[in-house]
Amino acid sequence: MLASLSDVTKRYGRTDGLSNVSIDFPAGQVVGVLGLNGSGKSTLLKLLAGLLFPSAGKVTVFDGPPRQNRAKLVYLGENDSLWTWMTPADAETFMKGLYDDFDVDRYRALLDSLAVPKRRTKAMSKGERGRLRLAMALARDAKLYLLDEPLAGIDLLSREKILQSIVREWHTDETILLSTHEVAEAEGLFERVLYLREGRLALDARAEELRDQGRSVVQAFREVLG
Amino acid sequence: MKGFKTLFWLEYRRSGAWAVALIGSLAFWAWALFQARAVDPVELSSVRTVLLVIAAAVGALVPALMIGRLRGETRGGQYQVLLLTPPSGAAHIAARYAFALGTAAVYFGILGGLAWWVVEMAGLTVDASTAAQLVLGLPLYVVGTTIAPILAWTVLLTVFVSAYRIAGPGWIPGTVMVVGTPFALRWLVEGIARAAYSLPGWPILGSLGISEGAYMTASPDGHEPEMIVDGIVHIPQEPLWIMLALTLVLLVIASRIWREVEA
Amino acid sequence: MTTKSAWQLDMNAGPIFVQIATGVRRMLARGDLAPGQKLPSARDLAAELGVNPNTIVHAFAELERMAVIETKRGLGTFVRKDAPVVALRHDLLRAAATAFSAEVTALGISKGEALKVLKEVLDAGES
Repeated sequence: MLASLSDVTKRYGRTDGLSNVSIDFPAGQVVGVLGLNGSGKSTLLKLLAGLLFPSAGKVTVFDGPPRQNRAKLVYLGENDSLWTWMTPADAETFMKGLYDDFDVDRYRALLDSLAVPKRRTKAMSKGERGRLRLAMALARDAKLYLLDEPLAGIDLLSREKILQSIVREWHTDETILLSTHEVAEAEGLFERVLYLREGRLALDARAEELRDQGRSVVQAFREVLG
Repeated sequence: MKGFKTLFWLEYRRSGAWAVALIGSLAFWAWALFQARAVDPVELSSVRTVLLVIAAAVGALVPALMIGRLRGETRGGQYQVLLLTPPSGAAHIAARYAFALGTAAVYFGILGGLAWWVVEMAGLTVDASTAAQLVLGLPLYVVGTTIAPILAWTVLLTVFVSAYRIAGPGWIPGTVMVVGTPFALRWLVEGIARAAYSLPGWPILGSLGISEGAYMTASPDGHEPEMIVDGIVHIPQEPLWIMLALTLVLLVIASRIWREVEA
Repeated sequence: MTTKSAWQLDMNAGPIFVQIATGVRRMLARGDLAPGQKLPSARDLAAELGVNPNTIVHAFAELERMAVIETKRGLGTFVRKDAPVVALRHDLLRAAATAFSAEVTALGISKGEALKVLKEVLDAGES
């Protein structure tokens, strides 16, 4: 197992972000993490990234605590998290200097195919910033990618480019967890889908199996979440 | 330290403008010192000394603010990005601190030069070795005993508040730290006072070459007063070592907190 | 072999790998693909369609099992020269005919009436 949650609960004050969730993530899967706002999608990804610590249970990534293995995983958070003065060239300096697995050639190729402009992030649109951050993430050669709403608030063309890049850059021994609201758009990408409802795992299924039963991922989403 | 170079570069890009502005502001102080006017030379020296002290306070405050900006980055998400980078908490803290301290050191070095200028304008001539002491030694001593620990304290406070702010009410630990500091400070000062001069002090202004028992008078035409000193002034070296040790301790604690933080 | 719309993938219409395999067979039957022609790589096709590369691999495996395509190591995936194009055409036609027949039954129309309509449509299609 590349990563796993073992009976994990995460409490925020009086509410549970996640309740007694146990999931295993083998290598080589593209997993869709779906659910409504507040269902625990972000919490799940942050726990795997080591940005949050479980209130109960255990999170294991690469056979150890996530924070310790942070060099081997890629986390792309929801918030715009680059410094406003940074240009793609600055981002390259940043990534190259801090990550051993950062592939500069791949980064530049991604900047090109994602049409990221050579400006400060302050002067970029949300879609351009999203594409830059994705280029930074996909240019790393990691085994686990945690992408939290990479398509959120991004224009249609950028979303298509982003999905295409993910497909192109994915290697069969890598595991990608992608949470999104754009279920219909990203559905084809997922081999496996997790549905979270109010902090609990409502359904864990193979996408093609769902379709074999006559339900698209979107349909199952509606059914499971009411 | 792995990644230190890049993290330092990041600091330079983040706060470089502040550093340049701070050091550039010394031109203002130089102008103010030159333009200062007073009734008599003694008062003039006092006025100039006050200006130097204010300039020194600014030189402590601005680097502290540079460090304190970490808080703004927790909302912006940059803190999350940094937290997930491979370099250790120590590397992050060290880079941030080194840039702020380096800026302060340059500032105080130049300020030391201005202090020398004030001394010269008061009519004293100093020889090269005393000038070196004023421009380099005294600023380094000041930076080492006050600025270095103050900035380290700021780092710790910032990391402390940011860390707990993200996970819960950050102002509580922060307030505890701020409120507790005066008490800790009193204990520290008493400890330093007791330890002072156990080791031989460092002579300063010793090479003014003025005999013991002389004192400052203004000559009738207001120019060329003579500086009178009672004896050679020695400054204790213990405060420097104690404060540097304290600085290190504060930075290590900050590094540990950084590592354990939730985002 | 280009856009998603050209492929008409319908997420509600059963497993994607089946739809892809059917799509390739349809293209072959209609002459959009020729025997011996090279297919795009699984990854390229996956990127075009926005689907998981493993799904394409699964589809290709199906097609290989049906002896429609073959993989030549180092060269790529090709339509077999001996791909049963004629049989595929007949299969597709038969499928269309079955659907027509089902409609005829559902509407309760007589065989004679249905054949008349069919001949009219085919005649119109020729001109």
